[in-house]
Amino acid sequence: MRDSSRVALVTIDNGEDYTKPTFFGRAALESLERLLPRLEGDDWAALVITGKPFVFAAGADITQFRGATRELAVEGSHAGHELFGRIRALPFPTVAAINGACLGGGVELALHCDARTISTAVRHFACPECFLGILPAWGGTQLIPPLVGIENAVKFVVTNPMRQNRMLTGPQAFELGFAERLLEPAEFVDESLAFALGLVPNSDSHRDSYRDSHSVAEVIRKARARLDDQVHGAAPAPYRALELIEGACSGWTVEEGYRAEEEAVGKLLPGRQAQASLYAFDLVERRAKNPPGRPSAEPKPIRKVGIVGAGLMAAQIAALVLRRLEVPIAIRDVSDDALAAARESIEEALAEQVAKGRYDEGKARFLGSIVTTSTTYDDFADCDLVLEAVFEELETKQQVFAELREHTRGDSVLATNTSSLSVAEMGADVGFHFFNPVAVLPLVELVRTAETDDATLATAWAFAEKLRKRPVLVADAPAFVVNRVLTRQLTVILDALEHGNTIEEADEAILRLGMPMAPSVLLQMVGPRVANHVLETLHDAYPDRYPLFQTLADYAEGGDEIVVQEHAPRTQDEILESALEAVADEIRHLLEEGVVAEAADVDTALILGAGWPFWLGGITKFLDQTGRSERMFGRELADIGPAAKTA
Amino acid sequence: MGRELREVVYVDGVRTAFGRAGPKGVFWRTRADDLGVKVVRELLRRNPGLPPERIDDVVMAATAQVGDQGLTLGRDVALLAGLPSTVPGFAVDRMCAGALTAVTAGAGEIAMGAADVVLAGGIEHMGHHPMGEDVDFNPRFVAERLVDPSAVTMGATAENLHDRFPHLTKHDADAFAVRSQHRAAEAWQNGVMREAVVPMSVFTDEGWRAADRDEFLRPDTSMEGLADLPTPFRPGGRVTAGNSAGLTDGAAVCLLASEDAAADLGLAPRMRLVSYAFAGVEPELMGLGPVPATRKALELAGLSLDDIGLFELNEPFAVQVLTWCDGLEVDPEDERLNPYGGAIACGHPLAATGVRLLAQLAYGFRERTSVRYGLTALCVGMGMGAALIWESLPAGH
Repeated sequence: MRDSSRVALVTIDNGEDYTKPTFFGRAALESLERLLPRLEGDDWAALVITGKPFVFAAGADITQFRGATRELAVEGSHAGHELFGRIRALPFPTVAAINGACLGGGVELALHCDARTISTAVRHFACPECFLGILPAWGGTQLIPPLVGIENAVKFVVTNPMRQNRMLTGPQAFELGFAERLLEPAEFVDESLAFALGLVPNSDSHRDSYRDSHSVAEVIRKARARLDDQVHGAAPAPYRALELIEGACSGWTVEEGYRAEEEAVGKLLPGRQAQASLYAFDLVERRAKNPPGRPSAEPKPIRKVGIVGAGLMAAQIAALVLRRLEVPIAIRDVSDDALAAARESIEEALAEQVAKGRYDEGKARFLGSIVTTSTTYDDFADCDLVLEAVFEELETKQQVFAELREHTRGDSVLATNTSSLSVAEMGADVGFHFFNPVAVLPLVELVRTAETDDATLATAWAFAEKLRKRPVLVADAPAFVVNRVLTRQLTVILDALEHGNTIEEADEAILRLGMPMAPSVLLQMVGPRVANHVLETLHDAYPDRYPLFQTLADYAEGGDEIVVQEHAPRTQDEILESALEAVADEIRHLLEEGVVAEAADVDTALILGAGWPFWLGGITKFLDQTGRSERMFGRELADIGPAAKTA
Repeated sequence: MGRELREVVYVDGVRTAFGRAGPKGVFWRTRADDLGVKVVRELLRRNPGLPPERIDDVVMAATAQVGDQGLTLGRDVALLAGLPSTVPGFAVDRMCAGALTAVTAGAGEIAMGAADVVLAGGIEHMGHHPMGEDVDFNPRFVAERLVDPSAVTMGATAENLHDRFPHLTKHDADAFAVRSQHRAAEAWQNGVMREAVVPMSVFTDEGWRAADRDEFLRPDTSMEGLADLPTPFRPGGRVTAGNSAGLTDGAAVCLLASEDAAADLGLAPRMRLVSYAFAGVEPELMGLGPVPATRKALELAGLSLDDIGLFELNEPFAVQVLTWCDGLEVDPEDERLNPYGGAIACGHPLAATGVRLLAQLAYGFRERTSVRYGLTALCVGMGMGAALIWESLPAGH
């Protein structure tokens, strides 16, 4: 803290460089507690709080949340209320100068100041708590509604976090009313100081609460209905957040609001969903930075990519490779029509990038010009990596790889994109399983065969990361992980349908977990033919666990009749329970076979590839938490698998 | 095609506070180019009548043109300061005369009619760029005795001045240093530094703080205090940390325009550039450079020393100023000389210093309405001097 013309300038700084954001842990709160008497005991012209370069404050230190008790949660929330409340009570103007990433507790600290400046360079401004199964409990639910209105508050505290943790930029936050000034970064702190000195002391900047009770009730009702559609009551945090926002708008004093936050977070944080969410967050944010299984070998440079096949998936992959790697691409297909269609879709993807302002037309024209299409392999001789994406048929793929061996350099990496077939059998060096839509879903299952050497795997891994995908390393086993688990679940649904349950009953049973998509909708998206093909592959490998279903076979051929084998419908509870048991059983098999190293890999794949929710922790966390694993296997899924910690 | 040269005017100038170079200095964790960005933006803020797109060039000097002072500094700073991409820029180097050379280069563009408005200044972060770093001296300098080996160590050249002019004693140098510190202390009490120095929030090991005061100021400097300081450049020598300028971080920039453009844009010019000259001397006596440079500039202007009412001289070493006084027959106690103190008190960030001299001269003119002409001069490593003569333009010109 420094005295500059009687302005107290306080920096939130963990002493590390900008790659390690500042979080509010116990130490930070203690430091604030030591600082406050110096602020309270002196006659300052103003207080400006800002962060170290590029970071304001990235929120509470959630590493301290794992395994938290109710008492600890209440105490942590109370401590924040206490300290931030003292900032709010300071008798001179206080300004939060939001210079960089501002999340969760960072936002709440800023809200306890009289005013806020925000930099145009801020990329991350959000309260992600609901995304993690908790809620803003340092005053966020109480101070946001009066500042930006109830609709913006609901959107910021509930809707955005529940929508893949969407965040605001500085200009967006300013637009919504979170800050009084939007300032350029070049002299951000200087201009924030000038702004603070211009504030009138003791002005009534604590705005009055929002008290239009009719519209409050209406906004909350609509938000709750949207939540029901999305999470089906399976995640408690966003519902509790809505209640607290409603309370803030119904005339609670700030103190009452603080107490309600303390009580709410005391229940939520030790709860199953929050703990599973923290586990899931750790998987996709931290564990992924040093992913298990990545070989230390040096990846080979990729200066040209070949793609065999020009179908829908192949064209999507080609467009993605072009956008992320910006290297020449050779596309080969037997059909001129398919090639023309692929080129058209690549041109469309480029035009979309131009429309978004990512690059100008000249660059798009150039990128279009480095894509060649042909019915021959003539352009494949100098490809560093070839990705085959033809129809899912083993013989066809085997033929492609036989041809590729003839037309490519000996050291080029020959990879397949397959959803279920054996990579080794088709003759590929390594396998990718991309998820549809390719541009959206972050997961790629990276398939290592017995023959895949470290250099090849390292190159494939680097390729996937350049595409900004998240590889999960899997063994060359039928349908790998995501499709294998989803298909096992599908067998339970199909079995219910063939025993007289309706599609709606089956859908509703699964949706109660809070899954992102009803099984019937997912089936349509994947396509019944593909789904049946995957089922057949798994049936060949594991006939006992993957029976074939006439209903799906018919559906794959265009029929939409359910073939009821026997009329013995089950309750939704029963359907859900058998689905969960089937999934648990299949994951145990996966782990025992060593398809992945540990349960965390299964969860990562299901979260990133199938959108399974954080509050289930993928799924194994939920199965372990609810005692199903223990009951079925006598141990937790977390303790099974080649890399599992020994029980 | 006949054409005439255009008059060049100085409108405004600003500098950062000058910081102590090194890990203990206020700017240690601040980039050199960001210092430049700060002064450019402040200059624009103070002159709102100037549309940024009317700036025709940004000339920035730096002695070390690498790292955070690389990338053609004038252009780099222009872009970082948010000037339109249509505004060009470049970098110059004449060591300590960097900023003055930026000014004369910009003045040349204006006089020639190539530019109406130019920003000219300099940046030196000596903490990030110690003198002589990455310099590969040609061995011929020594092998062929082209220069005395002492020529590359500025403090050693100052000792050489004492050798050459034995009547300029350490006592004289210390007395001049005390005077410089006292005058600087007074200057921080009156308005000159408030006008010339822009405070800047900088990130440090202790968080953000204001860089709003020169770190070398020692208002309570006394002869006794200076008497026993070590002489790092020569055992038993005369040059000490107390009678020379410390290693400094800082930046400064000024706004130059053609007389007509200033009038068009409603800018209030403070000074007119009358003449300028650069001169060379023996490298090992580099401090002598301003003597021939001053004589040449006076001759070009058709003026005599008596016409000059203010002298803003750099003070890398007290003895250097004393040799100039000796050569030009000016009393070191003369009120016209460095009325607001000098580099001994405020520091000397090599390529930035010239604009500090200009800003102080402009302030001096305003305080002394009877003065018409002023001189800014400094010496340059490897044996050079620079001198610019300015005419005061009273308000309402």
